[in-house]
Amino acid sequence: MSKILVADDSKVMRQIVVRTLRQAGYSGHDVIEAENGRVCLEKALAESPDLILSDWNMPEMNGIDCLSALRSGGNQTPFGFVTSEGSEEMRTRAASAGALFLIAKPFTAETFQEHLGGIL
Amino acid sequence: MTITQPSGPELADVHAITEQVWSSFLGDEEPLLPRFDAEPFFPAETVWSAAVSVHGGWTGTVTVELSSGVAQSLTRLMLAMEDEPLDDADVADAVGELVNMVGGNVKSLMPGPSALTLPVVAAGRAAHSSELTEVARFDASWHGEPVRVSVHAPQS
Repeated sequence: MSKILVADDSKVMRQIVVRTLRQAGYSGHDVIEAENGRVCLEKALAESPDLILSDWNMPEMNGIDCLSALRSGGNQTPFGFVTSEGSEEMRTRAASAGALFLIAKPFTAETFQEHLGGIL
Repeated sequence: MTITQPSGPELADVHAITEQVWSSFLGDEEPLLPRFDAEPFFPAETVWSAAVSVHGGWTGTVTVELSSGVAQSLTRLMLAMEDEPLDDADVADAVGELVNMVGGNVKSLMPGPSALTLPVVAAGRAAHSSELTEVARFDASWHGEPVRVSVHAPQS
């Protein structure tokens, strides 16, 4: 069983991400949640998840700063964005910072399967 | 040479983005129906609204206005809740996430680089800076109640 850390400042969106994981066939994994990038960073270090799914725009610390902090500290946990902003510029920034993928909202279970297939 | 920013997205794009966000998270069972004859005033007494702004290559504000009934119904659907009582924080969260998705997709269509603000949600009509004018407005109805998505940008 893998552990998945879901970071989003919206409780509604965290719930939708968890539901979509289930619909995509990834039920049975241990899901932990974070309501901003700072908590995501703390939980990533303390709980060693197998995958982080994070929003980009969050209060306190945004997703890209959280990813940069993880990578600069040597942490290589697989990290993907789930965000409302899917422009090429954002995808390039995400990839340069070390993200494996960027899923743009709105998304479907098929989009999750496409990106998570080789990771979980 | 003066380069002016495009005033905003095409109405057809705002329409398509809103329908895509709606059907992805609320399903196709009760579709969002466009209203091409909508009145300028928002036809609901109790309203929830939310706004996000984009700053950078394109600057503007995207607002979503919903009747209170629509706001409550979509919150229940997004949270998969049935009869449990809803609190205002849940409704604000759901309405804020809706405008975040529409605003993020509008941002992706416009010239960048730019940044998107966090959503601001209110129980009441949407307000925007007096420097901005409405450049696109998509009116719709859902379960017979009004939904409005507007894009505001500086006058060029």
